[in-house]
Amino acid sequence: MVTITIDGKQIKTEEGQNVLQVALDNGINIPHLCYHENLSFYGGCRLCLVEVTKANRTRLTASCTYPALEGITVETNTENVKKARRLVMEMILPMAPDSPKLQALASELGITEPRFHYEDPDGCINCGLCVRACEELVSANAITLANRGDTRSIEPPFQEEPLACIGCAACLYVCPTDCIKMEEKGNERRIVRWERKLEMKTCANCKRHFMPLAQIEFAMHKVREPLDAGWFDNCPDCR
Amino acid sequence: MSNVNVFAVKTLTQKEYFSSGHRACQGCGETLAVRLVHKALGRDVVVASATGCMEIVSSPLPLTSWEMPWIHVAFENAAAVATGVEAGLKALMRKGKIPNKKIHVVGMAGDGGTADIGLQALSGALERGHDFIYVCYDNEAYMNTGIQRSSSTPYCAATTTSPAGSVKPGQTTWKKNMPAIAAAHNIPYVATACPSYPMDLVEKVKKAAETPGPAYVHILSVCPTGWGMPGEDIIKFGRLAVETGAFPLYEIENGRYRITVDVPELLPIETYLKPQRRFRHITPEMTEIIAERVAKEWELLKRRVEFSALD
Repeated sequence: MVTITIDGKQIKTEEGQNVLQVALDNGINIPHLCYHENLSFYGGCRLCLVEVTKANRTRLTASCTYPALEGITVETNTENVKKARRLVMEMILPMAPDSPKLQALASELGITEPRFHYEDPDGCINCGLCVRACEELVSANAITLANRGDTRSIEPPFQEEPLACIGCAACLYVCPTDCIKMEEKGNERRIVRWERKLEMKTCANCKRHFMPLAQIEFAMHKVREPLDAGWFDNCPDCR
Repeated sequence: MSNVNVFAVKTLTQKEYFSSGHRACQGCGETLAVRLVHKALGRDVVVASATGCMEIVSSPLPLTSWEMPWIHVAFENAAAVATGVEAGLKALMRKGKIPNKKIHVVGMAGDGGTADIGLQALSGALERGHDFIYVCYDNEAYMNTGIQRSSSTPYCAATTTSPAGSVKPGQTTWKKNMPAIAAAHNIPYVATACPSYPMDLVEKVKKAAETPGPAYVHILSVCPTGWGMPGEDIIKFGRLAVETGAFPLYEIENGRYRITVDVPELLPIETYLKPQRRFRHITPEMTEIIAERVAKEWELLKRRVEFSALD
């Protein structure tokens, strides 16, 4: 057990956690965009900046990647922190100006008109949540972060249709700006952002389209013991 | 959204706010719904719960399953207490006694506590426009006291106070349309959900939480004890209820209807009714009447969706 101080509140917590986790577990709200509790830490959005004092030295750091060490003092709402967060938000908001979640966060931080502009924003803020979800939750590895600096973006390999994508839509659920969309028409599912088209399996009994063929193949490949050949002929309701 | 999202469920939190070890029946659909609702809402929640199954099974003194502030109140005033909590929190935040942040206030009750006994408190709360979420866990009768009929019990269902016999077909009235009553208050968000479609339920609860102003979520909770079916089949029956059109899943956002789980062709209603003990007495004529009504309501709902898409 380690004891840390967040906003003057002494908190006992288990070792191995990061400051953001401890704060959220104890009802202290730190705005964040690229953190998801089921995924690894990334420190990409820099919105969760806090002031950490360790051994008389204070510095500004991202709380999602800073470990909760014995005796550190964390301030989450000083003028310095707020100023830094506002700058970060001013850079993030123009990338996804239509996202209601970002707009709400920005107005909370007191931003009306960001100083920076971004040419044709597509809603993606490069937080990398979809990449990590695809890798860690699904292990399909269909998308990746490409390029560096201001050209950094999330792309399928070679900017082509990602054939490793199984159409599970996990990226859709973790996206903080909702810039990944899915369409379903007949027996075709489309993940719009990755331009992935998937054919759906049709249930032999009720004729419903219930799962992409690629996902079935993926599942068959994953289970060690072979399933019955007819297991995926029917949807879960008709089995 | 989708029928099978195996991996999407992994994006939900791993924390349990409704802990295990409670005393619900095996295969209780309501506990599953409660668990999912609170996974969606997170830790900053205050719950006011009416009397009912959920209160009995989750809080036998000195134990509790609730890992959050939870108030048990009488049958009739869950909504009134929730609004009081909301007003109290607002006042404390204004005075600077607690940090200014979003705390979700939830009123929860069963179908009896919502559609029968708690209706006037709920109506008042919705009309006053408090920023809270009201969740109705509808298991279609007073299951906790021994399966008595409520106004939410569907037509022909046999309960201990509406027994089926040679004269009466069981429940003689139709299920009260609670979502429509809530929507008639012109509140920003109304939805129906079912734990058989977990991601759909979670998305709706999240939307309800984010909506400023009152939101009403009506959740069908399959009750294996009261409905008379094996406990392992509750997910199947939840899905059948949706696919036969007996309980369509839709949401009403600022007056706009949207069907969230679309069923291109409704399954015959018998597949849902016949395996349940409470419907085992129904004759083909009764089935015909129910099927007609269900088809009519489904058509009406689709018309409403079309009409909302017009403007």
